[in-house]
Amino acid sequence: MKALTIIALLWCMIPRPASAQDEDSLRIGVKGFVDTYHAVRSESPNDWMSSRSRVRGEVTLEKGHTGAYVSANLVHNAILKDRTGFQLREAYAYYSDNHWDVRAGRQIITWGVADALRLTDIISPMDYTEFLAQDYDDIRIPVGSLRLRYSQEKWCAEVVAIPVSSFFELPTDAENPWSVGPLPIGDEPSHRLYNMEYGGRLSFFLSGIDFSLSALHTWNKQPVFYNGVGQYRRMTMLGADCSIPFGQFVIRGEFAEYLDEAQTFGRAASSNALLGLDWYAGNDWSLSAQYAHKYVTSGEHRNTGLATLRISKDLLRNTLALQSFAYIDVTNGGVYNRLSADYAFNDQLHAILGYDFFHADRGTFVVYGRNSEVFVKLKYSF
Amino acid sequence: MKKILLIAALFQLSTLNFQLSTCFAQKLTGREIIQKVKDRPDGDTRYGEMELTLRKKNGSTRQRKVTSWAMDEGKDTKKMMFFTYPGDVKGTGFLTWDYDQIGKEDAKWLYLPAMKKTRRISGSSSKTDYFMGTDFTYDDMGTRHVDEDTHKLLREEVKDGHKCWVVESVPVDKHEIYSRKVTWIRQDCLIAAYVEYYDKLNKLHRVLTISDVKQVQGFWTIQKMEMKNVQTEHSTVIVVKNSQYDVKVDKSLFTVTKLEKGL
Repeated sequence: MKALTIIALLWCMIPRPASAQDEDSLRIGVKGFVDTYHAVRSESPNDWMSSRSRVRGEVTLEKGHTGAYVSANLVHNAILKDRTGFQLREAYAYYSDNHWDVRAGRQIITWGVADALRLTDIISPMDYTEFLAQDYDDIRIPVGSLRLRYSQEKWCAEVVAIPVSSFFELPTDAENPWSVGPLPIGDEPSHRLYNMEYGGRLSFFLSGIDFSLSALHTWNKQPVFYNGVGQYRRMTMLGADCSIPFGQFVIRGEFAEYLDEAQTFGRAASSNALLGLDWYAGNDWSLSAQYAHKYVTSGEHRNTGLATLRISKDLLRNTLALQSFAYIDVTNGGVYNRLSADYAFNDQLHAILGYDFFHADRGTFVVYGRNSEVFVKLKYSF
Repeated sequence: MKKILLIAALFQLSTLNFQLSTCFAQKLTGREIIQKVKDRPDGDTRYGEMELTLRKKNGSTRQRKVTSWAMDEGKDTKKMMFFTYPGDVKGTGFLTWDYDQIGKEDAKWLYLPAMKKTRRISGSSSKTDYFMGTDFTYDDMGTRHVDEDTHKLLREEVKDGHKCWVVESVPVDKHEIYSRKVTWIRQDCLIAAYVEYYDKLNKLHRVLTISDVKQVQGFWTIQKMEMKNVQTEHSTVIVVKNSQYDVKVDKSLFTVTKLEKGL
């Protein structure tokens, strides 16, 4: 099996035309990359935090209105041995015509307009094996689901059904530098029909505004610790989001009401709101700021806030991209800031050098308080 | 992301700008010539594939490839564009609804496959930025309104064997990247053959040479052009392939759902 997988991934690396023009013929699209990522702790004991290499292959087969898409990683991880091997990412079949779009299989589903924060975007959970030090599409966990969309020019209706839910991956192994500690986590919900997730989203795309309404009957996919054990409980999300372009700016707003959400003291509803501003400033500068606030209707800690700030600048005719992206735990004063410089040697090869800075005395980031690291990455795309 | 946004208007460069529609026996003003550029018939729908080659002074090159569709709806235009090369941006999609009405901001969406997400993006961005590290500014690519410049027909002369009108255009907004540009417009096919851009010090900054023009389905179409920065000696060549007009596409192609579905 492993040999077959390797052959399949190597086959993906052979360049070939992305598509043919004849609609009735079988069209094959291939893309992917090879990358190697290494990070070392910037304080004593200066140990390796990550050391992994992989091949990513993405293949699309399409004939007429139907097709299939598969993406997979072949990974060697020198720190986390159990992460070495074949990793199937997405694998789904689809039908798509002028108005209908149906996908069935393992897929990443994203909702909402927030950037790297989750309010209505709670279908695909997060893989925190290396916290946020992985690529974003590796952090999102695909879910086995059926997604049906019907679209017209200015609106789109979408329904989703997830028969078997997926949940956050939280590293508890002490050998993992990103371990959150030896936390007892309870069983996931049984694989029964009545435990399935389902929901829908209605989106509008207009000349001056995009907005959506959404609802999802789901689970708290990040375990909530109640009586010392991480638990999963049913909840319902009612959400809305909007994006409003305004000159060089885009204003984004998102709201989600979690009904009967699991809390550390029991169950209570929470209101989650986000306001974001993107500024396309010119001279290859772009800035983005967000603030998200959570209000729980009961309990001791009713209000929490989390902000993000992204600043990026392209230099040297877009061969060098500098970026700073920071999560700011407003409630507790913590910060996680990823600084990176991405240099393109040519069309295929990029080198990325960066620094992850953590500072927290309490709150979300305190468990990573000693995880500040320098990282380097080489990536060859094909 | 901005570099991706900036390339999106490229497709229309090959079909809209620098082109005129018919020969005119009567004497035209500079403005009338440029207005004809904007009004030139180019079919109700269009398809094209483009290769952009960026060349440094030392000869090293980089490349970008895009595939694009466009559809006119009245005076408005909808466009869908996907990157096909290089691999790190392959699959990135860009949807834009360009409105002809002055003051009405274009609607734009960007799909980033790595994020599995579509973003609504600014309808207006800095017109003076260079896109994708090329020698074309965003403004060079866009549907610049005729009255954003004052136009003057300087003379008629032969350029590279083609009889041309020579039109000088001076921007009304003094914050533009160029102080003036001079365009040689071929009178046989009514497409620009050559454009000179002058900087704020009135020194020659960039030159655009359109070297290959052919008729495709009865529409004159640019096949190849080169923009060279004469001050840095960096240049960008755009080759347009497989141009098609009045292609059969449904307007449902120009929706966010199709943007996310990809090529």
